[in-house]
Amino acid sequence: MSAGAQENLPTGGAGTLTPRVPPADVGRVVSRGRGGEGPRFGWLKSVPFVILLGFISILALYPFIWLISASMKPQGEVFDNKLIPDNWQWNYTGDPTTVPGDEKLFNLPDLPVLTWVWNSVWIGLLAAVVVALSSSIVAFAFAYFRFPGRNILFALILATMMLPGAVTMIPVYLIWNELTKLTTEGGALAFLPDIGVNTQYPLWVPNLFGSAFYIFLLRQFFLGIPRDLFEAARIDGDNYFSMFRRIAFPLAKPALIVVIIFELQAKWFDLITPLIYLRDTALYTLPLGLKTILDQQGAGGGGEGRWEIIMAGTVITVLPMVILFAIFQRFFIEGIATQGRKG
Amino acid sequence: MASVAGTREAGPPSRARLWLSRFGEHETWTAYLFILPWVIGFVALTAGPMIFSLYYSFTDYGVQQLAGIEPTKTVGFDNYRELLNDPKIATSLKNTLIFTVMTVPAKMCVALGLALILARLAFAAGFFRTVFYLPDITPPVAIGIMILVLFNGSTGIVNRALEFIGIPGPFWTTDPQWIKPALAIMSIWTVGGTMVIYLAALKGVPAHLYEAAAIDGAGPWRRFFNITLPMISPALFFTFIVLTIAGLQVFTEVYTAFFGAGSTGAESPDAALMNVVYLFRQAFEFFNIGFASAMAWLLFAIIMAVTAVQFLVSRRYVFYQGDSR
Amino acid sequence: MRNRLKRAALLLVGSALCVALTAGAASARVDAGRTLSVYGLGGRDDVAQGRLDIANAMIRNGGDSVNNPVSGFNDQAFLARLAARDIPDLVHMGRDSIGTYAARGVLVPLGNCFTREKIAKADYRKAALDQVTYKGQIYGAPEFTNQITIVVNNDALRKAGVNAADIQTTNWKRLKAANKKLLQVTNGRLTRIGFDPKIPEFFPLWVKWFGKDLISKNGLKAQLNSREAVAALAYTVGLINDHGGWNKFKAFRDTFDFFGRNNQIAADQLGAFPIESFYYQVLADGAPVNITAKYFTNRKGGPITMLSGNAWAIPKGSKNPGLACKYIKALQSVDAWRSVGKERFDLRKRQGRAFTGLYTGNTKADVKIYEDIYQPMGNKDFDDAVALLVRAPRYGFAIPLSPASAEFRQTWVDAINRVLEGRQSPRQALDQAQKEAQAAIDKAK
Repeated sequence: MSAGAQENLPTGGAGTLTPRVPPADVGRVVSRGRGGEGPRFGWLKSVPFVILLGFISILALYPFIWLISASMKPQGEVFDNKLIPDNWQWNYTGDPTTVPGDEKLFNLPDLPVLTWVWNSVWIGLLAAVVVALSSSIVAFAFAYFRFPGRNILFALILATMMLPGAVTMIPVYLIWNELTKLTTEGGALAFLPDIGVNTQYPLWVPNLFGSAFYIFLLRQFFLGIPRDLFEAARIDGDNYFSMFRRIAFPLAKPALIVVIIFELQAKWFDLITPLIYLRDTALYTLPLGLKTILDQQGAGGGGEGRWEIIMAGTVITVLPMVILFAIFQRFFIEGIATQGRKG
Repeated sequence: MASVAGTREAGPPSRARLWLSRFGEHETWTAYLFILPWVIGFVALTAGPMIFSLYYSFTDYGVQQLAGIEPTKTVGFDNYRELLNDPKIATSLKNTLIFTVMTVPAKMCVALGLALILARLAFAAGFFRTVFYLPDITPPVAIGIMILVLFNGSTGIVNRALEFIGIPGPFWTTDPQWIKPALAIMSIWTVGGTMVIYLAALKGVPAHLYEAAAIDGAGPWRRFFNITLPMISPALFFTFIVLTIAGLQVFTEVYTAFFGAGSTGAESPDAALMNVVYLFRQAFEFFNIGFASAMAWLLFAIIMAVTAVQFLVSRRYVFYQGDSR
Repeated sequence: MRNRLKRAALLLVGSALCVALTAGAASARVDAGRTLSVYGLGGRDDVAQGRLDIANAMIRNGGDSVNNPVSGFNDQAFLARLAARDIPDLVHMGRDSIGTYAARGVLVPLGNCFTREKIAKADYRKAALDQVTYKGQIYGAPEFTNQITIVVNNDALRKAGVNAADIQTTNWKRLKAANKKLLQVTNGRLTRIGFDPKIPEFFPLWVKWFGKDLISKNGLKAQLNSREAVAALAYTVGLINDHGGWNKFKAFRDTFDFFGRNNQIAADQLGAFPIESFYYQVLADGAPVNITAKYFTNRKGGPITMLSGNAWAIPKGSKNPGLACKYIKALQSVDAWRSVGKERFDLRKRQGRAFTGLYTGNTKADVKIYEDIYQPMGNKDFDDAVALLVRAPRYGFAIPLSPASAEFRQTWVDAINRVLEGRQSPRQALDQAQKEAQAAIDKAK
């Protein structure tokens, strides 16, 4: 293997990044890490890094801990900025027959918080998986095929990322509004279920068509797959689609998981789209629900200012994402050992 | 195909003929089939609105026109001329550019540093990965509180720590000179997404390259510059482009911290006025939608120019394992 | 592993699609009679809900129904509905927004509505009504006054040796001296703010001290750089600078636990400040304090105050304007206010909290609630405060609406910020604001 190793080092198209052969005497032996991927620090060497990272983690963790602790405080102490509450109060669930105005998060009148959690979960997952699939198909085309108009179309895709969403928001809404008029009673497509305003379709259907950001990301990953892998399959008589399915798609799994995590997070926290499309509280997703709770319980114009409920709602909004991420990130780091390399 | 009649044309076929002939190939049509989903979406949901917004930028579109109370009048290039006259446009563009220049390289470096360390840790890597991703999913309200508490000029921990080592800390949240750095720090802090992309890219670097280099005696820095960087250059390129586009369009964090309902609304520092924030304000607080559309297309042109430059510059440095494209 | 992932993904997509299709079908609604669609009422505390119950019952008795989702007013959503011609029959928004929409012709004048339903204009607090009057026409039915009065922290005054009589706004020299004495700096850090003038928010109040307004009565001529406005700005910025500058002032103010038990009054961090009426409830709920409520007074010693709050309005294109008007009347009748006032009082009693009054925007209702429902809570400070609060709204004034109210406000807010940051002098900043504001108004005319 070592004889052929030098030939596999990057050359040519990388411009000035051609390596030169170093002298023969070696400094250190590189240890083989878990799964045989790249150099790894030994246990001892890891410790100072862990300590350094630990310090940085404090900054990353602080607001989160603040949030959780604020959600466990009584009303008058939410903003006292003490990380450990002086007085603990459980604000999430409670006896439904308490004094009106004192309901806990999951018992708020007219506000189905549990439904909102479920809505956010299924819409987020659906949107994320759909966009990963559709974007990867499109991205593969741009990475692998050579066809006329390829560069222009790719530039067009990039261009769609460059226009601020605020200006296309209303025209897009009008398009959905037309669809609503067609699919409600009296419209030309009334046989279809209601689609459009006050439904959840506008939240995930656009993902069926891929998204410029993910197409770009996945294209980069696909470009990194050596062409000879595909040539081998072509010679074996594979058609394009099965090449995609059997070679490109599995190899891009780390990237696909990244796409799913990102889109899930983006959809999870998206406020503006549900805000302008949804009317029924039962259809809301969590960010919109949180805003509704804020309207209802915040201190504007004579309201109660029950910040502890709002903080509890915020924790509910954030916690599932943390758990989901903690689970998902294991998928693409461990378990996907091989990249299909043959020494 | 191989047989050739003696009386055929002497030279190679013309470029146009070549280009047109590509349409006959199976590869071309398959490619189009693959990108069909995006094309449908573009035509149905994106092209129309983009054209509309371009149209609005040449009109006096406002609430009255939107609600049908008054007809929409075209005003030619008036909105664009207004772009040149409004000093706030220049301010917002300047702020946005400074912000982007401050954050993009910093974010890339920090993310890469973290990813490199995390990829090599012998233990606790999973824990730290989750922890560093947390800022990306922490809602702006909590981040805003954190900024106000930690960066408070008189009682915040940051300044107290700086005092401890003898540096008088500035008033991060009120002094206009320090608002952009404070915003930049807030942005760099949400580095988890970029870090995750680099982690995925690092996984794709073939292990045997490192082994071969080690056997040949390459030290860690040389391995980094000659193996790691080139092999993950597609990901670096991607994040460079995307972070720049996102930086030039920064909105949510700035708006919630300084302009929206989260702040008292009475302080709207000029130093924090970013382009899209001003656009949003023009569109949805002052209802000058035509003018806001002109702003959007100006920003579009700027972003396109910047991205084109980035693409041209990258040709020399980005290496794709698949092919040199 | 790969196949399992694929199967899981397919299963997920499939089941989610099923849910999506069935959920989409569940949004049909069948109604008999007319349906009144309402938009923008987010806060549903007992005071709002009680009145909604009364109004909803009235609608239902007429054989109609009400669609009133829990949703605060949001400009983007409202614009989207206008564009789609899906116009709500009745909207609820802040009074400062009403001006902008009214000036663009989006709202319907309520003159006819008031006449038809026999709603007396005189019932409303004049300043509240002025806030929603444009070109002589009324565009909103106001609710709540949030009148501004000055809260004086007697404990702080005692500690600093300041005479309570010096905390007043008639004599600016005296106030400045009292401010200097009241503020406290310990080890180079600000530890107590003396008098917080609350600019930019309350700037119009300081200008009204001279008897002047920031804009002409017809809303067409900006008056931002008048001698009086510049003097008011210079004075208030001076009060802040006496604390060591805006940065120190604001950084310290940001550390207040504004709504909490240990608020800035209870924690001896603030000497006195003007604030809206809701804050007395926060103080009553917090740690024990020793306060006095005072009027903000003009140079002649007469009380003045600013009001803010919400209002109901009918958009142009509303399909049920008559029904909407009936709804407004039901929501704001004196009886409705009385009944929710009593509920609020009883609720507070059950919660063991003080009741610091309800300031509805309806003069008769305010008086009735105070006389019939309010009971002294045994704390003289707060009882006196409530007595003052009830009388305060009549001294209210409103900034006349202009065709570009939002932009107008932004110009002077920006100007004041520039002065606070030390980038311009008050005259320079207001001169610039005057130019910008007049340009905005002229463009929107």
